[in-house]
Amino acid sequence: MRKLKTLVAAAVAATLLAGCGGASTPPASTGEASGATAGGSGDTLVVYTNSNGEGRGDWLAAKAAEAGFKIEIVGAGGADATNKLIAEKNNPIADVAFGLNNMYFSQIKKEGALEAYHPAWAGDVDKGLGDGETYWPLVKQAILLGYNSDKIAKDAAPKDWTDLWTKDEFKSRYERVTGMGTATAQLVFAGILSRYRDNSGDLGISDDGWKQVQQYFKNGSPAVAKTDLFARIASGDVDMGQMPSSIIADREKSFKVNVDTVMPSVGVPLAVEQIALVKGTKKKEQAQKFIDWFGSAEVQAEFAQKFNSMPVNKGAQAKANPGVVDFFAGLKQQDIDWDFVQKNMGAWVEKIELEYMT
Amino acid sequence: MIRLENIEVTFGDFTAIPHLDLHVRPGEFFTLLGPSGCGKTTALRTLAGFIEPARGTVRVDGKDVTRLPSDKRQVGMVFQNYALFPSMSVWENIAFGLRVRKEKPADSDRLVRDIARRVELSDEQLAKNVAELSGGQQQRVAVARALVLRPKILLLDEPLSNLDAKLRHQLRQQLKDLQSEFGITTVYVTHDQDEALAMSDRVAVFNKGVVEQVGTPQDIYDHAATEFVCNFIGDSSALTPEFVAEVNRLSAAGLSTETRSYLRVEKASLDRPADGGTAVGLPATVISRTYHGLHSRYVVRSHGADIRLLVREDGGAHPETGAATTVYVQPGHILQYHPGTGVSLGQDQAVALP
Amino acid sequence: MSGNNTVRSMASSPLVLVVGAVLTWFIAAFLVWPNVNILMATFFPDGSFSGRAAEKLFSSQRAMKALGNSFLLAVALSITVNLVGVFIVLVTHYFRIRGSRILFLGYASTFIYGGIVLAAGYKFIYGEKGIVTSLLVRLVPGMDAGWFSGFFAVLVVMTFATTTNHMLFVANALKGIDYQTIEAARNLGASPWTVLRRIVLPMLKPTLFAVTILSFLTGLGALSAPQVLGGRDFQTITPMILTFTNSPTSRDLAALLAVILGVATMLMLAVMSRVEKGGTYFSVSKVSSELQKQDITNPVANVAVHAVAYLFFAVYTLPVVLIVFYSFADGAAIQTGQLSLANLTLDNYVRVLTQQSGLRPFIVSVVYSALAAVIAVGGLLFVARLLHKHKNWVASAFEYLLHIPWILPSALLALGLIVSYDHPSPLVGGAVLTGTLVILLIAFVTVKIPFTLRMLKASFASVNSSFEEAAAIMGAKTLYVFRRILLPLVLPAAAAITALNFNSLLDDYDTAIFLAHPLVQPLGLVIKANTDGAEGTEGIANTFVYTVLLMVITGVTMYLVYGRAGRRRTRKRKPAPPPLSQLPGPALPRDQAPGEDDATRPATAVR
Repeated sequence: MRKLKTLVAAAVAATLLAGCGGASTPPASTGEASGATAGGSGDTLVVYTNSNGEGRGDWLAAKAAEAGFKIEIVGAGGADATNKLIAEKNNPIADVAFGLNNMYFSQIKKEGALEAYHPAWAGDVDKGLGDGETYWPLVKQAILLGYNSDKIAKDAAPKDWTDLWTKDEFKSRYERVTGMGTATAQLVFAGILSRYRDNSGDLGISDDGWKQVQQYFKNGSPAVAKTDLFARIASGDVDMGQMPSSIIADREKSFKVNVDTVMPSVGVPLAVEQIALVKGTKKKEQAQKFIDWFGSAEVQAEFAQKFNSMPVNKGAQAKANPGVVDFFAGLKQQDIDWDFVQKNMGAWVEKIELEYMT
Repeated sequence: MIRLENIEVTFGDFTAIPHLDLHVRPGEFFTLLGPSGCGKTTALRTLAGFIEPARGTVRVDGKDVTRLPSDKRQVGMVFQNYALFPSMSVWENIAFGLRVRKEKPADSDRLVRDIARRVELSDEQLAKNVAELSGGQQQRVAVARALVLRPKILLLDEPLSNLDAKLRHQLRQQLKDLQSEFGITTVYVTHDQDEALAMSDRVAVFNKGVVEQVGTPQDIYDHAATEFVCNFIGDSSALTPEFVAEVNRLSAAGLSTETRSYLRVEKASLDRPADGGTAVGLPATVISRTYHGLHSRYVVRSHGADIRLLVREDGGAHPETGAATTVYVQPGHILQYHPGTGVSLGQDQAVALP
Repeated sequence: MSGNNTVRSMASSPLVLVVGAVLTWFIAAFLVWPNVNILMATFFPDGSFSGRAAEKLFSSQRAMKALGNSFLLAVALSITVNLVGVFIVLVTHYFRIRGSRILFLGYASTFIYGGIVLAAGYKFIYGEKGIVTSLLVRLVPGMDAGWFSGFFAVLVVMTFATTTNHMLFVANALKGIDYQTIEAARNLGASPWTVLRRIVLPMLKPTLFAVTILSFLTGLGALSAPQVLGGRDFQTITPMILTFTNSPTSRDLAALLAVILGVATMLMLAVMSRVEKGGTYFSVSKVSSELQKQDITNPVANVAVHAVAYLFFAVYTLPVVLIVFYSFADGAAIQTGQLSLANLTLDNYVRVLTQQSGLRPFIVSVVYSALAAVIAVGGLLFVARLLHKHKNWVASAFEYLLHIPWILPSALLALGLIVSYDHPSPLVGGAVLTGTLVILLIAFVTVKIPFTLRMLKASFASVNSSFEEAAAIMGAKTLYVFRRILLPLVLPAAAAITALNFNSLLDDYDTAIFLAHPLVQPLGLVIKANTDGAEGTEGIANTFVYTVLLMVITGVTMYLVYGRAGRRRTRKRKPAPPPLSQLPGPALPRDQAPGEDDATRPATAVR
């Protein structure tokens, strides 16, 4: 006991000293530290992404190492990663960012935190999916309305999002979001609101459009934190809700449900995950090589096989999961003016959070 | 008034009091005296009803209260640290018991002010927080709080032990005065023999859970019933068998040389006592002398015994260290105890367990 | 000490001047400048103030309702947590209850876990498909299976989740009560109930005030319980703050809301310290005797108290047991609530612990949290001492400035640090701090300052000043007195505060996401990557695994600090120095709210 006491005392004394030392000398030591760490990470590329979950980050790091890239993945939610890239623009820590969709990247680009680069595989992708200058498309993701196909027959299913709140049989049977922080939620609303564009309306949207939003929130069953939509479908709590295309196959299996998706006549919003070079990177050449490697047909194909994604790279599409490719082939993409959406999304989110979410 | 009969108190495997019989008479100031850990507080707490004895009975006014809770025994208690309620004012502290009894507010107030006046607490002090009072004032609050319920018995658990010497002396007197004024039967616990001798009508000396002697202060001082009491109360010098043998030789007193023998410091002298016909003088050497103004303390050696004694500084000449002198002793003042049991061998002991 | 209350006397000590200079620099560089920067950027986007945020907020029905709910919860929680908290403290420390040690362990389970998993744990039991609900529905056929939701459910869960402060602080205050006062009251005829109501509880008042503030703040910052159990009608403001913090165009709304909550916090503080000033609550005696457990004499009451005590025990322990069980189940089973022993495997643990990053994030987090906890406590020990000793306007100004991190959410604090130090700044000697290892440490230390300061000040207040005077008379210098006399006396408290700080920093995400060095990433980031990213099957299972792993680490920490002290106490049968006796001040809103340790975590998966 006595020994422990002495130990604790010593530890406190030591840290007191350390604290004093730290407080009195930081200018010199931190100055050196910053120099040392910037150079110290050597040729390790720092990669920011929101697409590292469910083993993607580990898989990518291992594959990159095989290809001779030393990368360090910093995972963060889409909004967090965006805020971080913008906040750090004067002294960037990241070299490459990927996984964020065009909305996020256009925001970062506006703040001047991206460096223009033309990847080697630029010719294999549809330029229109990115900005053709700084960020380039990797993976397509459809934001869908899915329903429990064991319970609802195809012809009884909703035909479009608007059916959810206009037809009584779907009221309270669909899950609605409880926060506008997620990219998926924002894309759903981009898809709905774009249809009601009206330059004289509030925030560029007609009153009718805002009424749809109001109805959406009024008639939906609020999402439950830490309970997956598929879990709620499995338990019969709800029958339908928003879902990104890439997760469907996997979740159907884990929760033992069958889900079919709605194909509105206007099409579905596509989120396209992009990759970009960070402005001010000290390892520009290495970072460019990494972008060239990661976006290449082979790597994208492998990634697509492993994670059921829909690659944008035409060379990779051939090797991707055929089911996925077929699905996207039969998909009508909704025509969305992303410039308009990006310009207004912040205000829309704010309005929805403040006025419509109950 | 109070009878503890055949009391045994145990805490787990530990027996704090193996066997205790005590009788406290009405109106008496009765002190339980002993070193710390001797069981005196345990005895008091048993009487107060905080400890249930393993055996035996507690009677108050002839009524068996052994199983009664503290508040049904009509005993008031002043705790060692007064145990005033810090979140209440002085008035609230004193009124606590009355309010618990659901006395009418007006009656409570009258009783509180009445008792406060008697313990000399001003109205202004009644409104104060207890933390704002001095030690002496706190003590009076504690006494008032105990007395306002008009208990039959007042129990005091070392109430002076936390105070400085001067305040102690002052409060000792106050307490004693209060007690005589109220005429209440009081049981007082202390480890301070001075306090015990000065305040008590009778004293019970405790040692290791056992009462060694009960008697008036003078009894236990002059006729300590056991070697422990002799050592614990007052100041005495241990005598050697050679010394006792020499006293025998000089006086034919026939004291035993096989026992433990002691002599109170004030019972030895360097001058032949004026009236002491039986006193004998033994040659001695002065070992040391300490001057105390009023008197000097001497240590003189005679027949192997270091005898301590007091000499009044009355202006006369007194021997210095190293000088040869004579020490005068009355054989009747020598206290003798059985070496095994420690029980007094004297003839005139008042071993009074009424 | 009356001589120490002027600025001049304070300024006459060279030591104080040096500490003051360092402190001024630290406050200016890391508390004021970054936050002024970020608040300016939010409130004055174009250099001129705009009332937009206030206008938007006050015209939003939802925001007002959520704000109202947060305050309602704060007030209700202040009452219910005290009721339950005082009850469990009395049951474990005051009354003689059979099996009180076991009960204590059950009630102490909130020390080691909280947040969303705790809320989920309660849902497993009382939710629509919960164990208890299915049982009840079978017994009472007409019963609504969704009974456990809304305000009531949130209040119940948060009440049971946030009694940690009572178990720590109220229990300690109770142990400090002089038993003689209880005996005195009994002797004067007070019944056990009167003793409790008139003697014991009043003496606990200052501590109860302090934990009431904590409960209030916990309610105000409630996040996960309303999200999981609040349903449509009972949502609180915190999720909205988090959403707005993440959106650059709406950040002013977040800042405004944070400031509103911050002002409420400060008001609550001011009111409580005013109320508290009125009386003396500590024992006036110098010698006190150890509290002994009280029998409940009324047999009916005794049975009732035992019954409630064990009912609470079940309420407290069931979720923990289930969480541990579920951490071995697969994600789908967790979310659909189908648990069978056959499905339990070690797969989840294997997956979490064998991923590429492996144990590294655990080590990084342990080191960062330990360093930050120790630096915060170590650095503030002397500061708290000075603030306690010198009571003048300079000292109070410093004290208020040190509370800044209470007002803003930690994501904003982190952003402030980035914008202020992503370029060479003279405040830190021309260094660039972003991208260094030290910036996260600075942030960790910063967010722990208010809580640490208040607790340390409280513990200095409980040190008898005569020790110090005695040493000074013998010629000891201030620093020597501090080191040899005061430090050993407050060390138990300091150790406890360090442990609490350590535990709460372990899984931090909000600051780490913005400030962590890419190569040295703490646990919070890894947990986040593995647990949301669409709340898939593995994600939810990983959440449980991490919760259990964190429970182990925090459990060990708490054992090292409290368990050992407890053992020592029982062995010697003497009251050990209460680790955090008399705690007059409050702790912080978002920080020391154990049931809500993820209060500043982004509300939903942000992808």
